[in-house]
Amino acid sequence: MKKPDPTHPAKTRTKKEPLSREELQKQLEFQNEAVVHINSLYNYALHLTMNPDDAEDLVQETYLKAYRFFNSFERGTNCKAWLFKILKNNYINKFRKNSKEPGKVDYDLLKDFYHSIKDTRSDTTEEESDYFHSLLHEEVYQALHSLPEEFREVIQLCDIEGFTYEEIANMVESPIGTVRSRLYRGRKLLRAQLEGYAKKYGFNTDKNQ
Amino acid sequence: MSAAVDGELTLKEEQDFLLHLVECRECKEEFEDAKKTKMIIKERIVQFKAPQTLINSIMQLTIVSTREPEDTLLYE
Repeated sequence: MKKPDPTHPAKTRTKKEPLSREELQKQLEFQNEAVVHINSLYNYALHLTMNPDDAEDLVQETYLKAYRFFNSFERGTNCKAWLFKILKNNYINKFRKNSKEPGKVDYDLLKDFYHSIKDTRSDTTEEESDYFHSLLHEEVYQALHSLPEEFREVIQLCDIEGFTYEEIANMVESPIGTVRSRLYRGRKLLRAQLEGYAKKYGFNTDKNQ
Repeated sequence: MSAAVDGELTLKEEQDFLLHLVECRECKEEFEDAKKTKMIIKERIVQFKAPQTLINSIMQLTIVSTREPEDTLLYE
């Protein structure tokens, strides 16, 4: 990601000085550093809440909080990781208190949700009317969501969002060794789930020696 | 194993790991499977775009205290 040009804020000019220069500088930096991650945050929120409205609320609250505490963000570290951590904490405070039974997945609900949102907001360039693709996407999605949350979470953060082990460890507040073993075990579970689909659709058919 | 899949090994560790794979078929297969699993997740989970209304309201939120038109953000 592009670092904000430090010379720009210094040149910022206000006409009527409604804001201090520091405040304007903060806004610009915030937009360059934080707001650019909105799609990732939204997807993460969707995975957590399984509900577009809740996801939007969560992202909005996250940005509000992030903006308020932006001064405490350690410059030079990964801003996306920082935002994810805020979002996760928010989610826990907001939803976990009155959460449903953990580990229970309503597949019909998941399927409906996935389809309703996919039609309108998909970010893929693929031909989505292709039955093969939509089926495969959905099955992978279901397989991922069938995992215990602690496994799903690290796989998501690692494989989809591309965070490092260190960043993930910090986010889930566990040692790196724990992250590593959750990834290992989670992928094993996933593989078992996906094996059927994989064989069917051409992934994983050859065992190259 | 995971660290190898995710490129989290040091150079030395990676060399040792690759050497091990040459002589251990079991690990080699597991390594290939784990890489495929990662690849499938990476490519097959649909990423959604944040709704424009959400983006707007967040942009709004960061300029909430100004109430000035956008041209206050002009550069010289």
